[in-house]
Amino acid sequence: MPTVLAMSSFDLATRSASGFMLRYIVPRMGPVTLYGMLARRLPFRLSAPQSDIIIGVGHGDEAVFSGHNEAIILEIGKYDSREVDGKVVKLLSCQTGVLLGPDLIKNGAQAFLGYTDDYVWVMDQDLASRPWADKIAATSLMPVIDGLNALLDGKTAKEALGIELQGYSRNADVEEDDLIKACLEFNRSNAVLLGDGSAKIFPRPRFTVPIPPPPILFPMRA
Amino acid sequence: MANEEWEKVKEALRKPPTEEARKEAADAFNRYRIVQLEKGKGSTPTLVSLGLKKTYPHAIPVDKIPQELERNPEFFELLGRIVKK
Repeated sequence: MPTVLAMSSFDLATRSASGFMLRYIVPRMGPVTLYGMLARRLPFRLSAPQSDIIIGVGHGDEAVFSGHNEAIILEIGKYDSREVDGKVVKLLSCQTGVLLGPDLIKNGAQAFLGYTDDYVWVMDQDLASRPWADKIAATSLMPVIDGLNALLDGKTAKEALGIELQGYSRNADVEEDDLIKACLEFNRSNAVLLGDGSAKIFPRPRFTVPIPPPPILFPMRA
Repeated sequence: MANEEWEKVKEALRKPPTEEARKEAADAFNRYRIVQLEKGKGSTPTLVSLGLKKTYPHAIPVDKIPQELERNPEFFELLGRIVKK
């Protein structure tokens, strides 16, 4: 079963988030990874109907999820319900839990996981070429990865959200930097699950890649 | 010490985003960062967000946050929401 993973990587924020996906989620995926310049509407529209899960990393607002260079991938009223029908959708993006998430559910998505306000974190700019090594960003992004891995292991959407929320709490409890701690608590309070909490996907095999992927060399817009 | 300075940042961010409140928040954040920098944490820590078409940049180096706070009411409000939660 293919997994549709649309992740842009054209600025510091998307590069940081996509870097963690590359390291920890992509190795579990089938062939459909829309990375970098492929994170656009047309490849998404062609591949989304084949999958039981859609994972997106990109900029967004209440009604829109975007890909490479903010090209719109999903927008209320401008997608086919076949793209989301029966699927679990996870969008690591800002505010899509407000309007887009409910619209995806209305159009047949089984469950939606997203955020009702900005998704914010502190990253180390010096590690932009190998973002998976960024321990500051990991405090916020590893809970997302742990939640996604739970979904890919066959756990329910509700269990996956619980794992993500526990990760934020655990990291916030030991975090000494007040700004990073505030970001963790902010993301935790904005994470939402809509639709069927008992939704599951077909489990994907789990294996660990012994070495991290090569550094990301695509040009980046600051 | 850092907690005390952070409390001042939070207090300033609770106010409406007037020019004076933004200046006060920027000054408080500057003092907070000086304390944090003395601890030697991180090389170039940068606050990033996945917002679309915002008036603030997607990435703001933490040492530039005071300038953005002072300049941009929308960013002032975002940081206010972050610290209030």
